[in-house]
Amino acid sequence: MGKIKKLLSVILMLCMVLSLVACGSKGGEKDDDKNPSGNTGNQDDTDDGKDDPTDTPTEEPAIDTSEKVDLVFYVMGDAPVDEVLVEEEINKILLEKINATIDFQFSTWTDWAQKYNLELTSGQSDMIYVANWNSYGTLATAGAFLELDELLPTYAPNILATVDEGLLNMCKVDGTLYSIPGTWPEYTVNGIKYREDLRVKYDLPVPNSLENFEAYLLGIKEKDPNQGLLTVTTAESSGLVTAFDAANVFNLKYPWITNNAFPYGLAADYNTPADVYDYWYSEDFVEDMKLMKKWADLGFWSRSALSDPNNDESFKTGLCVAEVAGQNPNKHITAVTDFAKENPDWTSAYLAYGEVTGVLYPASAIQNATAIVRDSENPERALMALDLMFTDQTLNNLVQAGIEGTHYEIDANGYYKNLSENFKYEGFNTWNLRNNDYKLKQESDKLLSEMSAKYAEIGDKTKFPNVNIYSNFTENYDEYQVERAAVSDVMRQYLAPIQAGLVDDVEAEIAKFLEKAEAAGLTTCRDAFKEQWAAYCEEYGYK
Amino acid sequence: MKIRDSKSTIIFKIVIYTLLTLGALICVFPFIVIISGSFTDNHTILTEGYGILPKNFTVAAYQTIFKAPQDILQAYMMTFYYTIQGTSVGLIMITMTAYVISRPEFKYRNNISFMIYFTSIFGGGIIPWYLMYSKVLGLKETTGGSMIAIWFPALMSPFLIILMRTFIKASVPDAISESAKIDGAGHMTIFFKIVLPVLGPGIATVGLFLALGYWNDWFRSSMFSTSSKTWELQFYLYDLLNATQALKQMAQNTSISTADLPTQSVKLAMAVVATGPVLLFYPFVQRYFVSGITIGAVKG
Repeated sequence: MGKIKKLLSVILMLCMVLSLVACGSKGGEKDDDKNPSGNTGNQDDTDDGKDDPTDTPTEEPAIDTSEKVDLVFYVMGDAPVDEVLVEEEINKILLEKINATIDFQFSTWTDWAQKYNLELTSGQSDMIYVANWNSYGTLATAGAFLELDELLPTYAPNILATVDEGLLNMCKVDGTLYSIPGTWPEYTVNGIKYREDLRVKYDLPVPNSLENFEAYLLGIKEKDPNQGLLTVTTAESSGLVTAFDAANVFNLKYPWITNNAFPYGLAADYNTPADVYDYWYSEDFVEDMKLMKKWADLGFWSRSALSDPNNDESFKTGLCVAEVAGQNPNKHITAVTDFAKENPDWTSAYLAYGEVTGVLYPASAIQNATAIVRDSENPERALMALDLMFTDQTLNNLVQAGIEGTHYEIDANGYYKNLSENFKYEGFNTWNLRNNDYKLKQESDKLLSEMSAKYAEIGDKTKFPNVNIYSNFTENYDEYQVERAAVSDVMRQYLAPIQAGLVDDVEAEIAKFLEKAEAAGLTTCRDAFKEQWAAYCEEYGYK
Repeated sequence: MKIRDSKSTIIFKIVIYTLLTLGALICVFPFIVIISGSFTDNHTILTEGYGILPKNFTVAAYQTIFKAPQDILQAYMMTFYYTIQGTSVGLIMITMTAYVISRPEFKYRNNISFMIYFTSIFGGGIIPWYLMYSKVLGLKETTGGSMIAIWFPALMSPFLIILMRTFIKASVPDAISESAKIDGAGHMTIFFKIVLPVLGPGIATVGLFLALGYWNDWFRSSMFSTSSKTWELQFYLYDLLNATQALKQMAQNTSISTADLPTQSVKLAMAVVATGPVLLFYPFVQRYFVSGITIGAVKG
């Protein structure tokens, strides 16, 4: 025993000594690095104030770029083949302007969420891609990113001048700025994608209301009984909002604040955001679910829809004639391109729900943004590099499209044309560096910009012009996580068949569903959500 | 003269053979679907689904792959490299460690064995593991370093060391090495001249375990590769699928091009190209696998 104890203690000691050495050296490096490059401005100020008031360069803190710095930019996805080639070109410019080089590192799409967090933990990168779907808010609150408010004026003046203040505000978490968004406005508005050629051929109405949607599907069914109508599943309905994809069509009926309204069967209209009402308990809901049953009985979707796997190519291959969930203008454009390639006599059309209800706004700015990692050893230089890549037209085009002449050219119509498979459009996946002023237009952008213009017009007329008033709201469900999960289960089990119309007695099933949901803790979730939402509306002045 | 089987034996055999044939069919079925799918026109897959025989036979998918085969070949090469490098270095280290802790004259052998065994139950978890290689050892800073990080972490495993130790203990009686010692042999001579020659099946088993581990690994590529040039084959394939999925999902929120993602038939053809050679090779070495493990187990 004594021997083992001795041995263990020796090993423990060794471990401690090792860890001390490791930590010590790291700390030392950081201090050394930070002083010359970073805090010189501040230190000068205080020193000067005390000792020597005669020469005071306090107005403009000098930016010291004498030391060459290698930066790492962590981005999502896979690397392009010509990564090194383009990086060399970028580095030529960066070395000349700010004496820094940049290396793009790619997450790949395998386990990206885990690797993204590991990357932040190890702190080896300087700049990092952030987005709302990448848990930006949570990470920022946890302190993963550097606060930028004070650094921006000094190190990224061009960004400050280019990026609209409203956009920057959207990137703030608890009042602090942690990221720089791209400035390309996107309207990722949900809607219905349908087959325009069939609609014209059979002389059917545009599906711009529930009645017309029914008439459209019914018309096709009558003329061509073998044609599949909808391939709706539960694939897009995993949250706490809907349980079956077809329920998305009710966005045609209600001017809800956000697609499918709030979780837990709550809802509020865009024009009266603070006025939250109960959708699941309303007469409307019963009526809507009866409609779903009618549609299911008419055979609009398969009887096994609840267990069918999602087939996201079904519209492309003609297995369905409309898609109602998870659609956006880009998917419509993809469909247009696909049809042109494979079935030239088919046409796709897109109707955004907002075109009917008048509730439309651009996507949140935090969809694509860049943050500086807190552990970055050269945050100032990273910010300067970001400033250049974002606001210098040559550099921005180089990063986004590669080398002109090698990877792309601008054709006679002024559109981007790819020349090489080795570096495609936005080959570095830097969607966060999309600068609206410099973005090279693609041919497909034409259709997109037409759609965006149409949406912007509608968006201008809303009560809060072109603002996604829901975007900054994050539900904090730490305290009722268990209830929330239980409600989600109940929805999957009881609400899904109701929304899929696969029940006999709609009213009885709804009553049963609500009873089960209440037992699972629905009321707790609702009350907490309402409270948080009310506080949010109060804070931002949405009434 | 042949002994005739009794009736019950015949019935038993019929039942067993039918069951085994069914089992084998169930195992082979997915492969057949993959192979037939890889020869099917992509549009047919999407509209009519998969079949056992390819409808609308085409080799278009293979043409697409072999138009630019360098990526697959590179991944193949890297996997071979990692497998050979890792297996050979790992084998040397494992046998030597196992020899040392199998020697009765080594005073702390039980303590050391315990520590090796201990790590197989309690690990540090993925974050310290990652930080160790990426930050402390700094292997992620260069491409060469990231290549080391792919084969290095899997060189030794407690299970294989203990397997080998049991094997050595069982096949080399202490008396033999003791008499060699009396004749003036040092540890090196004993290890190379007496122990190694009788370790054949043990080395084959452990080597196979190691080699299979390296061949099937994708996780370390995912964690440490800084360039797609150093990817292992399995990761190359896995990432291909993941990229398609992820991009499709992302396209819901933001405008990115999803026009030229690989089609179903190309994905299937990739799987055939990547797994085909191993499939052919596997049956021939698998018997060592079984015999090796049982030898180690019975006598241990």
